[in-house]
Amino acid sequence: MAVIVVGVSHHGAPLEVRERLTFSPREIVAVLDRLSSDGDTTEGVVLSTCNRTELYLVEREQDASAAAWALLSEKLGGDASAYGYVRRDREAAAHLFRVASGMDSMVVGEAQIHGQVRDAWEMSRPRSGAVLNRLFQSALLTGGRVRSETELGHGALSVGSAAVQLARKIFGTLAGRRAMVLGAGEMAELALACVLEEGVQAAIVANRTFERAQVLAERYGAVAAHYEDAWPELANVDLLLCSTASPHAIVDVERIRAAVSKRGDRPLCILDIALPRDVDPAVAELDNVYLYDLDDLRGVVSANRDRRQKELPAAESIIAEEVETYWQWVAGLAAVPVVTQLREEMHRVREREVAAALQKLRELTPAQRDVVEQLGRSLTNKFLHEPSVRLRAAAANGRGLGVVDAARYLFGLDAGVEATNESGKAEQDTTKGKSTT
Amino acid sequence: MSAIAHFVAITCYIGAAALAATPFARPVGAPVRGVAAVLGIGIVAHAVALMAYVHRVGQLPLTGLGPALSFAGFVLAVTLLIVELVARDVSLTLVAAPLAAVPVTFANVIGMAPSVAPTGARGLWLVAHIAPSFFGIAAFATAAAAGCMYLLERRELKSRRFGAIFRFFPPLDTLDRVNHVAAVAGWLGLTLGVVLAITYSVTYRELSVPKIIWAMGSWLAVSGIALGRIAGGWQARRAALYSTVSFAAVLLLYVAFRVVESNAGGRFL
Repeated sequence: MAVIVVGVSHHGAPLEVRERLTFSPREIVAVLDRLSSDGDTTEGVVLSTCNRTELYLVEREQDASAAAWALLSEKLGGDASAYGYVRRDREAAAHLFRVASGMDSMVVGEAQIHGQVRDAWEMSRPRSGAVLNRLFQSALLTGGRVRSETELGHGALSVGSAAVQLARKIFGTLAGRRAMVLGAGEMAELALACVLEEGVQAAIVANRTFERAQVLAERYGAVAAHYEDAWPELANVDLLLCSTASPHAIVDVERIRAAVSKRGDRPLCILDIALPRDVDPAVAELDNVYLYDLDDLRGVVSANRDRRQKELPAAESIIAEEVETYWQWVAGLAAVPVVTQLREEMHRVREREVAAALQKLRELTPAQRDVVEQLGRSLTNKFLHEPSVRLRAAAANGRGLGVVDAARYLFGLDAGVEATNESGKAEQDTTKGKSTT
Repeated sequence: MSAIAHFVAITCYIGAAALAATPFARPVGAPVRGVAAVLGIGIVAHAVALMAYVHRVGQLPLTGLGPALSFAGFVLAVTLLIVELVARDVSLTLVAAPLAAVPVTFANVIGMAPSVAPTGARGLWLVAHIAPSFFGIAAFATAAAAGCMYLLERRELKSRRFGAIFRFFPPLDTLDRVNHVAAVAGWLGLTLGVVLAITYSVTYRELSVPKIIWAMGSWLAVSGIALGRIAGGWQARRAALYSTVSFAAVLLLYVAFRVVESNAGGRFL
């Protein structure tokens, strides 16, 4: 039994390849059925997002990657393996854990992938079994740990979200606040959309050309205003976003000072995302005015990016720990069929030998015969107890698979993949039960 | 018993502050539950210490410098925990927990010796005016702690340095609200305390000029900020600055009276 992942991602496959390899939710079970009916796999999960398509499979005895590549190549209409990768066992587990933690994402630390991994698992549930259920459970747990124990997912990574992060640091939440946008261009629109998404209650769009302000305001349910009408409103807004195409500063100290004097002590956050700048830098000197320009926002983004990079080693150590835990469980699983077979074989020997002995002891009363049978059972159980415990423990602590093979050899057992699969199926229900809680 | 429990409480207060400071050493958020739990254990230990004191001495820890300081630290820690549970933010622990630990440590250094406390109705009057006064001072200290943090964070935001304070302190608005609530609560507590103290002094003809000056000074300071916030529209930097400076002044005045009174052979609070 081996866990493998076969797939392509943004690291090696261009967008047009990834687009063609995307599986819709309806295709997933059919894809896994095909791999299973070919006899190559016992379990499977398909993870298909805009940045990756990956098949997580539990192989039978032979390599399932060829069948997986054949399937992907068929969908692509060319050789998909040229763009992709195959990872096995621990590496496959570590890969999924990194994916679920956002470490393998285009934007390192992004949180969306965690939900996508969960969805992929849910959609593939009819074809996943004990091994992959546990793997995906562990991946989601690992993703949660990485997010809570490191800063990998913290901090804005775009100018827009950095602006929101800064504004939140002043106001807590932007819900219910008032904003004004100067300008009606593309950047102004992005900024407006961003703050409205944060729950800003009322927004004013002011522009030199009123008609353009009106178009933008109508699109977003804001209020359009001429510049001249907008300046008095500065006393009432909490957030001023400036993004005009003006070649010189249009917001000077006097204008803001006049507004601030009417505002009492309420803070005013000014985000100047125009180039050249719309706001005179001297405005920053005014009390309760917080002025940030593009360089400041880029500084926030850059600091956040650096911090995320610095968190990678800490995240890697969490992943290593969780891979170890998962692999101990997998190895423990490998011991189950051997232990079962060993016990069955020994009990068969006991029954045979006790029957032969009783044949020679015909004069025994039924009570005495029971004692002999009980003796046989008791001795066998006692002899088997320690090897069973040690086999399971050895399998679980990493020395396992060699010890399990040795046991097979020493006791003349032939525990096949089928037995493993049976035990896996037996655990499947338990795992599913856990995962839904 | 009281000394051991006090030691545990002090350790927990310092430990909670250290835990709240972890973001400054390592770029992860402070463990909110951990900080609250350690602070909670400290409060329980402190309560045990005070109960042991009451059991041993047979009077509430409100008279005598040591016991009063310990009780003040206890009230501050409890206020801090309540504020943090409501605000769901533990960064205030950074400033307020050491502020609670210092008087408790001082109390144990000078000794938990009670002064002769009046009994009967007079004793009840005494308790009735000291308890709300302590609550008022604790709330005032919380307002000052929030104000201090506001000023630190404002400085970082204004100077466009986005370091640990920027990342791990709560938003300015949250600190401003904590300052507002704590200042108003402090004013209510101290007003009640001062009114009852005046009634007590007049009824039992026990007048101490330094005590009156300090009590009125504290009351005026906290009234200034509460009034400013409610009627004058103060908020943000002005409120933060005023509460920090006025609380520091109240502390300094206390120390000054202590020094002067002990040099003169008297006793001040």
